[in-house]
Amino acid sequence: MRLFLFLFSILSFSSIYSQSQPENGAKDSKPSFYALEHATIFISPEKKMTNATLIIKNDKIVEVGKNIKIPQGAVVINCKGKTILPAFIELNSSIGLPDLTKKPWSSRPQYESTKEGAYYWNEAIHPEIKADALYKNNAKKNTELIKMGFGFALTHQNDGITQGEASFIALNNEKSIILPSTISSFYSFRKGISRQAYPSSQMGAIALLRQTFYDAEWYKENKEITNISLDNLLEQMNGSLFFHSYDKLEILRAEKIAQEFKLKYNYIGSGNEYGILNDLKNISSTIILPINFPKAFDVKNPYVARQIPLKELKNWEMAPKNPMILSRAGIDICISSMNHKKANDFWKHLRLAIENGLSEEDALKALTVQPSILTGTDHLVGTLEKGKIASFIIYDNNPFQENATILESWMLGERNKIKETVNHNLIGKYNLIVADKKFPFEIKGDSKKYKGTIQYKVLDKDNIEKDTSVDLTILSSGYDVTLHFNVFDEDWKGSVNLQGKTNDKYGIFEGEGLIPTGEWVKWSAIKTKKTNPKTKKETSIEKDTTYQLWFPNTAYGFDSIPEQKPIVIKNATLWTNEEEGIIENATIVIHNGEIAHVGTKNYKTPSGAIVIDAKGKHVTSGIIDEHSHIAISRGVNESGQAISAEVRIGDVLNPEDINIYRQLSGGVTASQLLHGSANPIGGQSAFIKLRWGASAEELKIKEADAFIKFALGENVKQSNWGSYNNIRFPQTRMGVEQLYFDAFLRAQNYQLLWKEHHKSGKNKPRVDLELETLSEILQSNRFITCHSYIQSEINMLMHVADTFGFTINTFTHILEGYKVADLMVKHGVGGSTFSDWWAYKYEVNDAIPYNAALMASQGIVVAINSDDAEMGRRLNQEAAKGVKYGGMSEIDAGKMVTLNPAKLLHVDDRMGSLKVGKDADVVIWSDNPLSIRAIVEYTIVDGKILYSQETDEELRKRNQAEKARIISLMLMDDSDDKRIFIPKKEGHFHCNTIGEEASTEENKH
Amino acid sequence: MKAIIITVLLLTTLFATCQEYHKILIVNGYLHVGNGQTIEKSLIGIEDGIITMVKNNLTTSYSPEEWDTIIDVKGQHIYPGFVAPNSTLGITEIDAVRATRDFDEVGAFNPHVRSQIAFNVESKVISTVRTNGVLISQATPRGGIISGSSAVMKLDGWNWEDATISASDGIHLNWPNSIAYWKSPKEGNEHYLKQKDEIYAFFEMAKSYSLASKKAEKDIRLEAMKDCFSGNKRVYIHANEIQQLVDIIEFSKHFNLSFPVIVGGYDAHLIPEQLIHAKIPVMLVRTHSLPQKEEDDVDLPYKLPYLLQKAGVQFCLQNEGDMEAMNARNIPFLAGTAMAYGLTMEQAIRSVTLSSCEIMGINTLYGSIEKGKSATLFISSGDALDMRGNQLTLALIDGLFMNLENSQSLLYKKYKAKYEKGK
Repeated sequence: MRLFLFLFSILSFSSIYSQSQPENGAKDSKPSFYALEHATIFISPEKKMTNATLIIKNDKIVEVGKNIKIPQGAVVINCKGKTILPAFIELNSSIGLPDLTKKPWSSRPQYESTKEGAYYWNEAIHPEIKADALYKNNAKKNTELIKMGFGFALTHQNDGITQGEASFIALNNEKSIILPSTISSFYSFRKGISRQAYPSSQMGAIALLRQTFYDAEWYKENKEITNISLDNLLEQMNGSLFFHSYDKLEILRAEKIAQEFKLKYNYIGSGNEYGILNDLKNISSTIILPINFPKAFDVKNPYVARQIPLKELKNWEMAPKNPMILSRAGIDICISSMNHKKANDFWKHLRLAIENGLSEEDALKALTVQPSILTGTDHLVGTLEKGKIASFIIYDNNPFQENATILESWMLGERNKIKETVNHNLIGKYNLIVADKKFPFEIKGDSKKYKGTIQYKVLDKDNIEKDTSVDLTILSSGYDVTLHFNVFDEDWKGSVNLQGKTNDKYGIFEGEGLIPTGEWVKWSAIKTKKTNPKTKKETSIEKDTTYQLWFPNTAYGFDSIPEQKPIVIKNATLWTNEEEGIIENATIVIHNGEIAHVGTKNYKTPSGAIVIDAKGKHVTSGIIDEHSHIAISRGVNESGQAISAEVRIGDVLNPEDINIYRQLSGGVTASQLLHGSANPIGGQSAFIKLRWGASAEELKIKEADAFIKFALGENVKQSNWGSYNNIRFPQTRMGVEQLYFDAFLRAQNYQLLWKEHHKSGKNKPRVDLELETLSEILQSNRFITCHSYIQSEINMLMHVADTFGFTINTFTHILEGYKVADLMVKHGVGGSTFSDWWAYKYEVNDAIPYNAALMASQGIVVAINSDDAEMGRRLNQEAAKGVKYGGMSEIDAGKMVTLNPAKLLHVDDRMGSLKVGKDADVVIWSDNPLSIRAIVEYTIVDGKILYSQETDEELRKRNQAEKARIISLMLMDDSDDKRIFIPKKEGHFHCNTIGEEASTEENKH
Repeated sequence: MKAIIITVLLLTTLFATCQEYHKILIVNGYLHVGNGQTIEKSLIGIEDGIITMVKNNLTTSYSPEEWDTIIDVKGQHIYPGFVAPNSTLGITEIDAVRATRDFDEVGAFNPHVRSQIAFNVESKVISTVRTNGVLISQATPRGGIISGSSAVMKLDGWNWEDATISASDGIHLNWPNSIAYWKSPKEGNEHYLKQKDEIYAFFEMAKSYSLASKKAEKDIRLEAMKDCFSGNKRVYIHANEIQQLVDIIEFSKHFNLSFPVIVGGYDAHLIPEQLIHAKIPVMLVRTHSLPQKEEDDVDLPYKLPYLLQKAGVQFCLQNEGDMEAMNARNIPFLAGTAMAYGLTMEQAIRSVTLSSCEIMGINTLYGSIEKGKSATLFISSGDALDMRGNQLTLALIDGLFMNLENSQSLLYKKYKAKYEKGK
């Protein structure tokens, strides 16, 4: 009965080959079965078996387990002492696909797609690219992956934003084999080889991807004209989606899109996902982890060592723990070999991950079962269970635990010997007999590399026999052995070269060889003493799974985010920005993140309050920077189009920017992060509180009104972009005006279409993110901050707004505002300006430092902003220039960086003054805040002390200690392969910075 | 009585063009000498542009009839003219307009290129800088390995000849980055060594040339280098990082440079003894700049002046960086910030007056208000290092009264009048 079942099961395991080829001659002969017995087999992550047998027929596993009857005619292979692992699955690979080539760079920007055919309008969107049509088996590349233990790969072309479809391939030497799998498509925020100008920033890539999905949704219902790209995309959206992330924050950015369109992305990680663990716990994605952990830096030169940023040092320490941290948190992970060139490095890193606490089971799962589930191939691959494809690897021992050698790779049932599987041990003492001479010798070392010494006798000056010891070279391959040494004694002067066979069971070598006399002789060697090879200590290495992260995990990060505690600041001079003006000797009480008391009257000290005696100190409301570009990732300008209303700064916040902390040290508690000024209609702004240590989403001020950046003048007409950037409309101030008219007319039409649709329920219009945003402006649901310099354009934009029935909220820079202050008052717009900057371009020729005072004198709400991470830290000084230039009162000058920007941002009900019930965003200064001597002692945001001189002092010391600790770890790291530090200039985003990298160029605003 | 006592406000209408005063006495001002000393109620006598008397009005009497004019500045502060070293002020006007940029010449070794002759005395930017008390600048070329020769200039004059204090005070050498961030590590280091070799080779050549008694052929580059080895010419070496600084010390010793100066010196506070021993002063990196490394103390650039002062390294402030020409008017506030972060007020003033002049070698005539020096000074109604106090009521360059209006104040008045009329 048992036998019957067995035979039955064999019949059911047909080959994966669906087609039969004509044979040239008789068909290839093959054993009917292979039986691999006495092996340690990792059948699946959960199931490890010793002394087990694996039976293979053709390309399938037909039986695995203990006490299995070996079928007749089977070729039996003894795998005693060997370990068999299922072949791993690589999810992030481009194996077998042609290399990508980028079109040559042209000095003229390319605004439109050059791809002909019925495709999407943007060259970075090409879901129509399919790996199956491009794939060619590449035996050489296959070998590289097989040496790392892989047998399968999901291959795709990593290019563009929607990259296209991948193919699941089975590695082997001969054929191009693609296995059926779930439709798997890849995505990223990098536009790749596309030369099209749009998108030029990550926020642009995000907007483009969202728009593409909206287009696909609409297209599904409105297929009047075929779009090949969208047809493919629609098909792919139902399959497995993989997203290339190049930083942990990109995962969170992509996840927002996934949620918007109810998609499930699996993420190809970048190795620092430990930093977003809590966010990852809330999503069900699998993270495909790289394990090419950073090498230790060469820190021998302290001049160089001190330049290495702490965050890089910390990441070096944390990276190997990344797989453990994610896996222990219950997050599904896969492990990828990406960025490894050498198999040894891959294995070294995999073992390092295991040493750092990743369990063997989880590691194997991440390399086999999890990827098979994601690709829908788990019925075929991933384990060595009955019925699965016979792709596996035989190792000389457990590769998860120690350095192991791959002896054989079996791909689709094809046996491929990689290393002769003789496992003998030559170590010991021997006597060599050759041509009647006797030489004692000893073999040491290990089976991977033997070392030996051999002795012979010589006569010294006094004719006394003495023993001499020389090196003996031992080479062994299979049962062959080569011995080589040099002799200089009475009889022989020269080399002895011996070749022979070994039988280590009996400890005998014998064979033939050449001796220095030139004679061809027989030789033999007999083991005299067996020395045991050094047995490795069985004690497993203590796994270090402890770690501590800072918030953020960079210099000046907090050990834990400061709590919201009641705070009483007494005996202070309070700059209330309210009717009371400046109150001396007063107290401010902060409770539950709000201001609970202001003044000289009696107050109740909440229990557990921190009491600060601020005698001689001044307290103001936190500074609000109306125009800032800090804390932004990969691009502050979407310069690929003249209108980019669809992009959102809020999509690309970087909560780890050290400039957040630096601004806090200057008393800033909130900043409006603006899109740059590369185009007339820029992107949507983000208004954040400087909640150092919080996540990107937590930085945002949720209840704040929505804003957008517009720009006028030289930047938008590309005046300073060189001679080739003169083909984008507009190139003149005349064109700028017409662009606005056209844009808002289109938005009006768009609104009309939706209105009709809502009425009739028919003809649902296509969602257009750009026009959506412009419609918000028309409906006064979004407000404009416009970069502006000269009076003509300021006047022009106010007229445009009047025509369409909305009001410009704020002119920023507005350096000629003083010339049209009366017109601005009439329109009802505010001004946010620099205190004294000018002379950086032609359009600021008439800028004057009295601008703020003059505008204010006409009743305009005037703020002073920074537009600069450096100046942002001392906006109090800049406000004080209002006193110098134009004679403002100190209170009015102070309001220009507190209450007035709060008004311009519509948050003066929550911020901008010391008033009971307002947010506890409060700064304690050592002196009058407008004095050059004023130094920030405390910065409180939402009632949390996020900066204080005292804590800062501690953090500095801790930064140094942490740096020293990790540097000494690196010094102790004994690997020869160290990374040389290449300093990177700290770049900053300015209004005029184009592209995704921060600029070290001059700020031209 | 021959002398007239006039109020300061009236003086704003006086120009160098119509000035006839030869003997001026400024009385009762709070004098900041520039060398660290102060006199609360001072007497400053000026004759033909030279300070002939600096005394304490409480202990000295004077006879009014000896003076052509006597200016009472009671309650106000008197400072030596502030200095803007290492600046493109006057050799650029509008950063983004190439036609106005005259500070960066083609070529790697350009010691012969002189900024002095490109200096525009009528620069509108200059007019806004001097009205904040900055009366002297060092017009400094940029670019290449040796950018050229700088010149110390007065910020008022009829032409560049007239405005020159020191025609070619020094050459400016941009020390290469010790680790090139745009190269692979190995290449980067080799690149550094190669660039250093180039600099050494050039200086070897220049030094040999300077030592030769008979010159076979005149070489304009090497001529410009001559005084760096034996004369008064400074070698301003621009660098920040510690490896560069120690290499510069070695370099200066190797060539026995007369007056090496480090410009930048962000890491100078780490090797004060070496700098003191080598007698190399530092023109410090812009006080209002961000820390260069993320874990650096957030206020490090603010307190660098104090750190060098405490360690005894000779230094002065400068403001190379974004929009440096226009921002030269904020040099008083760089000193103010340095004061907030540790310097005493007089140390802070010295760091933008006498120290700068000493480092540039013009201190016999400029940098402090002392007998025998040029009357290059200004009077402010309040603390000139504070934004609120910096209000010039009077300024003299070489004893000539300066116009305290500038293009910006004129525009201000024009539009202020418009709005006042409209009401």
